[in-house]
Amino acid sequence: MNLGDEMKRIVKMPGKSLKGFLNKSMEYGGAMSKFNSSIEKVFGLVLGTLGWVFLYPLTVSARVGTPLIELPAKPAPIPLDEWTVAVVDWLNLNISPLFDFIQLVLNTINEAILAAIQWIPIFVVTVAGLDIRFPLWSLILFFLLWYLSGQITTGLLGFITLWLAANFGLYVETTETFSLTLTSAFIAISLGIPSGILAAISDTVDNMIRPVLDLMQTMPVFVYLIPAVLFFGLGAAPGAVATVIFAYPPSVRLTNLGIREVPQELVEAGEAFGCNYLQLLLKVQIPVARPSIMAGVNQSIMLALSMAVVAALIGAGGLGGEVVRGIQRMRVGQGFVAGLSVVFTAMILDRATSNIGAREE
Amino acid sequence: MPSIELEGVYKIFGDEPEEALELIDKGASKTEVREETGHVIGVQDITFKIKNNELFVIMGLSGSGKSTLLRCVNRLVEPTKGRITLHSDGKDYDITSAEKEELREIRETQVSMVFQNFALFPHRTVLDNVGFGLEIQGISKEERERKSQELIEVVGLEGFGDSYPSQLSGGMQQRVGLARGLATGAEVLLMDEPFSALDPLIKVEMQDELLDLMENMQRTILFVTHDLDEALKVGDRITIMDGGKMVQKGVPEEIIVNPKTEYVADFVENADPSDVLRAETVAEKDFRVDEENRVKLDQLTEVEVNDEGEVVKGYISGAPVSLRPIDEYERIEEDALLFSSPETPISEIMKARLAYTSHPVVVLKNNEFIGFVGEKNILQGLLEKGRQGSSS
Repeated sequence: MNLGDEMKRIVKMPGKSLKGFLNKSMEYGGAMSKFNSSIEKVFGLVLGTLGWVFLYPLTVSARVGTPLIELPAKPAPIPLDEWTVAVVDWLNLNISPLFDFIQLVLNTINEAILAAIQWIPIFVVTVAGLDIRFPLWSLILFFLLWYLSGQITTGLLGFITLWLAANFGLYVETTETFSLTLTSAFIAISLGIPSGILAAISDTVDNMIRPVLDLMQTMPVFVYLIPAVLFFGLGAAPGAVATVIFAYPPSVRLTNLGIREVPQELVEAGEAFGCNYLQLLLKVQIPVARPSIMAGVNQSIMLALSMAVVAALIGAGGLGGEVVRGIQRMRVGQGFVAGLSVVFTAMILDRATSNIGAREE
Repeated sequence: MPSIELEGVYKIFGDEPEEALELIDKGASKTEVREETGHVIGVQDITFKIKNNELFVIMGLSGSGKSTLLRCVNRLVEPTKGRITLHSDGKDYDITSAEKEELREIRETQVSMVFQNFALFPHRTVLDNVGFGLEIQGISKEERERKSQELIEVVGLEGFGDSYPSQLSGGMQQRVGLARGLATGAEVLLMDEPFSALDPLIKVEMQDELLDLMENMQRTILFVTHDLDEALKVGDRITIMDGGKMVQKGVPEEIIVNPKTEYVADFVENADPSDVLRAETVAEKDFRVDEENRVKLDQLTEVEVNDEGEVVKGYISGAPVSLRPIDEYERIEEDALLFSSPETPISEIMKARLAYTSHPVVVLKNNEFIGFVGEKNILQGLLEKGRQGSSS
């Protein structure tokens, strides 16, 4: 161990970078250039000494291979992990019929939506030895998006993206992702908007629900997947549950925000004309907050899509499944094509829902 | 026949207003109350009565409590103390003690409101905005659209029924707001600075239209403004508020002529008094009847009065002339003296003098000669806002 060299290196380093810094400063303040050397020396010495004092123990310990902090590994004084397991186990044992019921409902909705989507036929035309697919959905999307956005280009976008996904060979997967996204988004929104309204009406509810939403949005998404599998088994149902949890907050937040930000004068106007509580809510606050609520719906759908892809890790299938397989088998092409199809799906869903709030006015 | 009575109305903002009320009773000022209790006085001890079909103006600067007071009347702001009674359709409504449902009914059918920033519902068409109150009343769609259409025409917005508020200009939006306020059939209309957000020209136009409308419609209006000229123009009576208190109440001329406090005086200093000052106020009443029953108005003109005090004849440079009413001055060919009623604003007299004759104008009250208005009286009136004239 050559301590002297090490020390020199460490001491020199800050000085060196400082020199660069000082030189830069000198360019701006040319008058100071004659002090260059002396300032450099003083700063270099001070910083170098400090650096040495603080960094030396690190370099030594790194070399010897002993960790600086050494604590007993187990058990942790607050065994939250074990408590969580206990709670999950208890729930699984005692209210599994409820989970089974939820699982059944989710699977039924998802399968119904999937069946409805897949009921629309897809035609295959063989041209020059290639089986080219023409999903009727492309045409439907063309007119739907055209109608919703009022722009023919958006309709064309819908047509082309779905046609491409189908001809990448991912039509079935795309429909699966669509149905899981729509199922989850539907549930998330139908829970989220009423929660948002409650939160807007009552500060207590707002204060209670806010930390829950923060938790839902900041908890790494993969973490939901574990209990979801335990409670609901593998497949679409746990995927839908995890997706609902992830997609729920924006609906709540933006509904709440939208209603709270309805101008005071409009609320007064409603009251001044004799609205009762319900009329005020239904005829004034919610309609005025509609653009914000619709932005929340749009956000929920987009988050639902992103989570529906991740849910493939627990067997939710769809485009996410392709991505996961691409990762597992290191198949760049498979992963990229599936990923691109996810982007297309996102574009379709976004264009279909982002303009609804603004369309009428 | 609606009228509204306010008796000792207080509004204190804060959680425990009792403490603040006690302090006020002891004579503490607004600042003292705020410093001691943290409570803010909105309005303090307001008592007045608004008569049937009156346009009553509450005027004051921002923070004077005028909007708060207005909102107490339909309890958008809950008064802390005091009583507000509404007499309408032969019924007495005690607004301050009304239960939720009764209050809702009062707002629905008796008292409506027009807002400063129009407060139109952006998601509703003009027609649906105007019909909002009727919708709340539970009136059928056809009936409501028919009535709304009528009012849209009354405020001069034909053809805009299907537009959305965002497509209209400010003046048009406030017409919608006015139509919405009128549509419910409520005879009391609260107007919270309705024209303050409009351009000056549109503002004057709207004021004129409001006055025209009110000639045909029976409405009792409580009108809040910070603009004295507006108050003087539209108000039958005006009350001026400062720091939550009512500092003066009276007809426009009284306010101009006799400002009771420094605050009011500052307010009226820049107002144009010529539309408000009346002939009687500025007229020279200190005249002498000579032995020939004549009164000398100035160097050239005289009038002859009989024993009843009626004017028999006028003289210009000794030649007899007839007396003609002042509003006919444009049609008079020959030399004549003009007479006015005591209520004629001096702006009218100034116009006539400019266009027709510079001779003094005779002021008659029920045919009796009570004085005359010469150039000196007008100037004095304008300069001193008639203070001397009215005190004599």
